[in-house]
Amino acid sequence: MSTKHPLRASGVSRRDLIRIGAGGLGFGLFGGIGPVPYVLGQASRASAASTTGRILVVFEWFGGNDGLNTVVPYGDPMYYKHRPTIGIKEQDLMKIDAQYGWHKSMQGVKRLYDEGKVAIVQGVGYDQPSFSHFTSASFWHTGAPNSGNEYGWVGRTAKELDPTGARGNLIVNISDSQTLAVRAEKHVPLVFIDPTRFQRSVFSQEKVLLEALASQQSPVGDAHRYVLEVTRSAAQASEVVRAAWAKYKGKDNRDLRLLDLDKVAALIEADFPTRLYYVPLRNSLFDTHVNQAAPHERQLEYCADAISGFFREMERMGRADDVVMYVYSEFGRRVPENTSLGTDHGTAQANFVIGNAVKGGFYGKAPSLSNLVLMDNLEATTDFRQVYATLVEEWLGVDNQKVLGQKYKTLGMFKGAPQPTTA
Amino acid sequence: MATRMKWAPGPAAWTDDLSPIAASDWNADRAAHLLAHAGFGGTPDEIERLADAGLERAVRSLVHYESIPNPKMVPFVESGLWDPGLDGFPESRPEATNRAEKTGVSMGIDVKPGGRRPIQPVSDRFFYWLRATLLETRRVGYWWANRMLQTTHPVEQKMALLWHGHFATHENKVRDYRKMLQQIDLFEREATGNLRDLAIQVAQNPAMLYFLDAQYNVKGAPNENFAREVMELFTMGVGNYSEKDVRECARAFTGWYFDNLTFKIDPEKHDNGEKTFLGRTGNFDGVDVIKIIFEQPVTAEYLASKVYRFLVRDDQSPEMRKKLGAALRDSKFEIKPLLTLLFSSKDFYSPATYGGHIKSPVEHLIAMMKHLGAEAIPGVPDFNQSTIAMGQHLLNPPSVAGWAGGRSWITPNLLIARGNIARDVLLPDMTGFRDWNAGNANDTVMRRLRDGYDVGAATAVSDPSTMSMFDRVALERDEKFNTRVSSTLGWERAARKLIPTPRQAAQIDLSRLVLDSGSKTTADAVDHLLGRLLRVPAAKPMRDQLVTFLTGELGTDNIEQAKTYMEDALRMTVHLMMSTPEYQIV
Repeated sequence: MSTKHPLRASGVSRRDLIRIGAGGLGFGLFGGIGPVPYVLGQASRASAASTTGRILVVFEWFGGNDGLNTVVPYGDPMYYKHRPTIGIKEQDLMKIDAQYGWHKSMQGVKRLYDEGKVAIVQGVGYDQPSFSHFTSASFWHTGAPNSGNEYGWVGRTAKELDPTGARGNLIVNISDSQTLAVRAEKHVPLVFIDPTRFQRSVFSQEKVLLEALASQQSPVGDAHRYVLEVTRSAAQASEVVRAAWAKYKGKDNRDLRLLDLDKVAALIEADFPTRLYYVPLRNSLFDTHVNQAAPHERQLEYCADAISGFFREMERMGRADDVVMYVYSEFGRRVPENTSLGTDHGTAQANFVIGNAVKGGFYGKAPSLSNLVLMDNLEATTDFRQVYATLVEEWLGVDNQKVLGQKYKTLGMFKGAPQPTTA
Repeated sequence: MATRMKWAPGPAAWTDDLSPIAASDWNADRAAHLLAHAGFGGTPDEIERLADAGLERAVRSLVHYESIPNPKMVPFVESGLWDPGLDGFPESRPEATNRAEKTGVSMGIDVKPGGRRPIQPVSDRFFYWLRATLLETRRVGYWWANRMLQTTHPVEQKMALLWHGHFATHENKVRDYRKMLQQIDLFEREATGNLRDLAIQVAQNPAMLYFLDAQYNVKGAPNENFAREVMELFTMGVGNYSEKDVRECARAFTGWYFDNLTFKIDPEKHDNGEKTFLGRTGNFDGVDVIKIIFEQPVTAEYLASKVYRFLVRDDQSPEMRKKLGAALRDSKFEIKPLLTLLFSSKDFYSPATYGGHIKSPVEHLIAMMKHLGAEAIPGVPDFNQSTIAMGQHLLNPPSVAGWAGGRSWITPNLLIARGNIARDVLLPDMTGFRDWNAGNANDTVMRRLRDGYDVGAATAVSDPSTMSMFDRVALERDEKFNTRVSSTLGWERAARKLIPTPRQAAQIDLSRLVLDSGSKTTADAVDHLLGRLLRVPAAKPMRDQLVTFLTGELGTDNIEQAKTYMEDALRMTVHLMMSTPEYQIV
């Protein structure tokens, strides 16, 4: 696709354009601070102890993934008692050990696991769980179960990474509407789903004027200054995102099926200053109430292939050491199968943390399949905020109490990270 | 013709000064400013009336609105989707079907004595109500938006909107539009009454009781959800109470529940023991603990500053917070004195407040209609879809914490959405519009059922037309019910009863507005429209570009010459104005 690049003709390279835009002149939201140059290439080459170039990608599997049919406890006879029909047979699994095996569609994640790059956290959930998709998702997004918060945990992490909010595009949310998880006090998340449509709808004759909307105006106050800056950065963000997308080769590779992770890869390749990417899977195909075998198999395969392909792209770009992905659902599913060969909304599930920096293996305690709680459900053995705490503290170097309101014990999941912290 | 107003913020010294401005400081621009903050903006006529009334009468008429006739307020007309069998609606589909398996009946629907899928009617019923209450709630939101636009009591509606976001519940969980409607009615009725009484009524409101799990809060097994939110989000803010206070508070609320739409107390489930709460000891009930909460100095500060943030501006100093808290405490939590104080104050008309408020998407859309002279919210674009695109879904705030407001309303994509929605209102796409209440156009299940496929084939993942008959038959299993069919049929059955939303475009006539203003030239027209729309003046170069644009579109700068064909060009001009940063703030 050939998008117009007004600056390229003037001899400014795309990377320069994005750096200038992203770090300084254009994207420097929040006045008073002035341009903040940000050279990510430098940061990523900084010493290993530094956390400044590290990126977290959250991949939300909305709908409620059936964790038991993803990492299958085939060694426990209770599993087959609860799931006489939809339980996955031992011979169909890719075995991890004498107890667990991967669903065969998880080939892509298994590859990374075999390379020691996948942490499987078992039994992740919270007390007094909600069985409503939206309510439970809002608990995970805010990190405040049976409560709420105006801001999301990713948004609060941004504030700790950059307390003044001086840096633009710290958070990118690949979504058609802003996910609660990224709502931030100081930062303006860059939210888009289709780079080619991330722009104003205009009639042709309006174009010139719409592009000039925020020019030549001096602010009357703080709110005005803020809106002016977002107006300018919106125009530039849409331009730069479309430019990054146009340049990204991965999108034309038919073997790469990255779901919405392709947009993340494109921005990382374009050296965006983003540290926090949030990618909710928009369909709810994980909500497998009926005849779940075929759709779950397909959905897992799409997702696992996307994750695998994404990390191959990171390798190609030389950024694999800088990126960690976190995968979760708002809940798992009921342990016993239902009469429609599916499963209903449940509680705890396995989460995955993936990346070169991760110490692969199992974390947390496996919930019992014999002592079920709350109408045939798994007991949550690891509070999801412990996983958040691990990500923000061990990977991003932020005190987890500042993000989560209280200190959580981290899981010791990262290479070179301190041993698990105590609460 | 409304006279053009001069942008007239007071001197900088007015900032943070709560003493009233002098009667002589009152003018049309300040009347416009007051209407934009206290309500949803004004038409030139409304502004002129308020300006002529003088400061004191203007503020009084806004705050003490009860005696002002409000002829366009009509009750919500229900589609008739609810019936008594839905009382005690199960929290989940498994609960609904388990109930049927155990008792032979669920939600007023009997299990079939024989035949295939004996529990299918129950499963269908569950999904019917999920869809029905969702669809009817959209209608409630649309109805409420029209009230905001058509009311002669803008402060009443503005404050109801504040309380909706403050005592936040969402239909996604409550799953009963009737309870949401009842709650909106409460917020409107008590909009400017006594805040302590409002808090008590909210605590006894069925939507809130359900939303915060009151049914699980019983003697011996208290559920702390409600107790925590009462203090953390509704009255005091985090850090002003202990975990022990939360537990004791929960005990005081035990036994509170609702029966259909009525608040009740079950004495058997109420914990009559002694509680120690915020330093006081006694056999407290829910009303007692709310009264104790309102004795805490921090409560008045927390609530008054919330009102201030909503009506005046985002930022406030700690001193201002204290002053506001003292004012609310002095009025014994009566809201009207606080509003009168704010609306009359120098601070309210200071440069910090002028242009200091970012409109919420709902405020933005209502103001848009007022500025365009529309008397009703359009059906195209859809009201709910429009505000959702801009970041606010009425009756579905994102969590119990409500909407963050302020700067969080503006992100690059939300800002772009504001401009795009303005275009959809001004120049709607009637041809391409599809009513989302009609369901998902991509739903294949209904189409396959109507094409003669069995339930198994209709709900298969792959396309049954490519399967052999043998495979299709093999899909038809012995199951008690099929939820995927229920999901489709539920929507269908709800939609059959639903009163349709009129899909009329906004009825606006910009040519008439411009001609009535006496505009002779495109420059006059642009100035008139800018004066109508913007509270923060546009920069001169932008104004000049708009004049050039309009002149170019019309082929003349003579309005008289262009009057027979100028409507769409005027609408594009206004689309550009509504896309400016200045239009997003008041």
